[in-house]
Amino acid sequence: MKCYKCGNTLTEKDFCTSCGADVKIYKKIIRISNTLYNQGLEKANVRDLSGAVICLKQSLKFYKYNIKARNLLGLLYYEMGEMVSALREWVISKNFKSKKNVADDYIREIQDHPNRLEAINQTIKKYNQALLFCRQGSEDLAIIQLKKVLSLNPKFIKAYQLLGLLYLKAGDRETAKKTLQKAVEIDVNNTTTLRYIKETADGSSQDEGKEKDKKGTSITYQSGNETIIQPITNGKISYGFSSIINIIIGVVIGLAISIFLIVPARTQAIKREGNKSLIEVSDQLAEKNAEITDLNSRIETLNQEKAGLTEEIEKYESDEGILQEYNYLLNAVSLYMQNKSDVIPIYEELSKISQDFVNDNASESFLSMYQLINDDIRTKIENAYVNEAYSAYKAQDYDTAVTYYSKAFTINPENAEALYQVGNAYRKAGETAKANETYQKVIELFPGTKRANDAASHISE
Amino acid sequence: MINFEEELKKFQPSLEIEEAEDAIYNQDLTDMTTILGELLKEDKEEE
Repeated sequence: MKCYKCGNTLTEKDFCTSCGADVKIYKKIIRISNTLYNQGLEKANVRDLSGAVICLKQSLKFYKYNIKARNLLGLLYYEMGEMVSALREWVISKNFKSKKNVADDYIREIQDHPNRLEAINQTIKKYNQALLFCRQGSEDLAIIQLKKVLSLNPKFIKAYQLLGLLYLKAGDRETAKKTLQKAVEIDVNNTTTLRYIKETADGSSQDEGKEKDKKGTSITYQSGNETIIQPITNGKISYGFSSIINIIIGVVIGLAISIFLIVPARTQAIKREGNKSLIEVSDQLAEKNAEITDLNSRIETLNQEKAGLTEEIEKYESDEGILQEYNYLLNAVSLYMQNKSDVIPIYEELSKISQDFVNDNASESFLSMYQLINDDIRTKIENAYVNEAYSAYKAQDYDTAVTYYSKAFTINPENAEALYQVGNAYRKAGETAKANETYQKVIELFPGTKRANDAASHISE
Repeated sequence: MINFEEELKKFQPSLEIEEAEDAIYNQDLTDMTTILGELLKEDKEEE
């Protein structure tokens, strides 16, 4: 504590030890200021902000240099949504005490967030605008504006109070009460707020004070100086019955919504799902059909190939087939290996082999084998047939003799003896016509030879 | 019963940022110590 006159630090004495000024009253004033500050602090601690503001204002009226009181006052204004008032107190505080002052931090905090400051300033402007609307009688506009204010600055006590007052005027006591309750949460003991809340309660009690008249056909209640009599339009309808009616109507509406809105939508959804599935199945079916067609065409191709191969196999396996030709050759080889001097059966097998096959289709190994055997027996077969024919002829087996002599002649068409002996065998067998025919052939083929003359003599017989 | 018009008169416009400077300069900072100093000064002048 410093002397108000010389600025020297005061002691416990009632006078200044430096200038001698009487500081007894001065000290009392500062003590009162401090006491008021303490009271303000206590109220602030229990969120009695408006009460704290009053105490702190009084504290500063006693001693304006009470920095703590001034800083706390600024903080309370800030909490109540009045930023400019808060700034005012902190700036003055900073002016009184430039160093080691917490107000410095508060001011810096606000300066560091200019956007927030601007936003709060806008809410203050809107609040002032709303107040102007109220004074012009545009309460609806004011309510809209105040709602915006409170959405942006939810600690603005004065805005809550004004909005509550407007709701009260509009007769909306419940909303007014709710609005004012929010103000109470910020400032618990604000007399204006509490007074308005009390007004909402008074209004409710008035509502509760409604009385039915004796006949029960009207409700009478007091509103200010006026007695209001409100008729009951249909007192006989019980709330229970009306509730049942309302429930039934609700159920009917619900069913109607279900039938006309939900069910068609659900049906459409199911149809869409069904169509989607159908399309998918159709796609799969088309794909499978394509696969089936492809497979069928492959089957057809394979069948054709099979038929071709079967035909080829049959061709090989048939009597005139290649396999058969090989069989004949193998038989001939087999016989040749068993007894190559017995040339007739070997020749018989080789004769079965088609000459077309030998010339056109036979493999080299086939041909070499065929020619080897054929060359070996070619020179022997004629004599073999002649010998066999002669033996048969001697044994009077003329049919066999005819066969073998014919084969010998076939092998060697120059063998006039063989042809002539064919005629003799026919003649001995009693087949004169065939014998003469054969003799005639001898005469034609070998004219002028001994056998031609012999044949002619036999014909003349 | 609240009188709306009377209540409305109690609401004053809130200070805007643009008005802060004027508010600070025009703040009445007179306190009891100031008054006491003036009283003592007057008393001394009378003597």
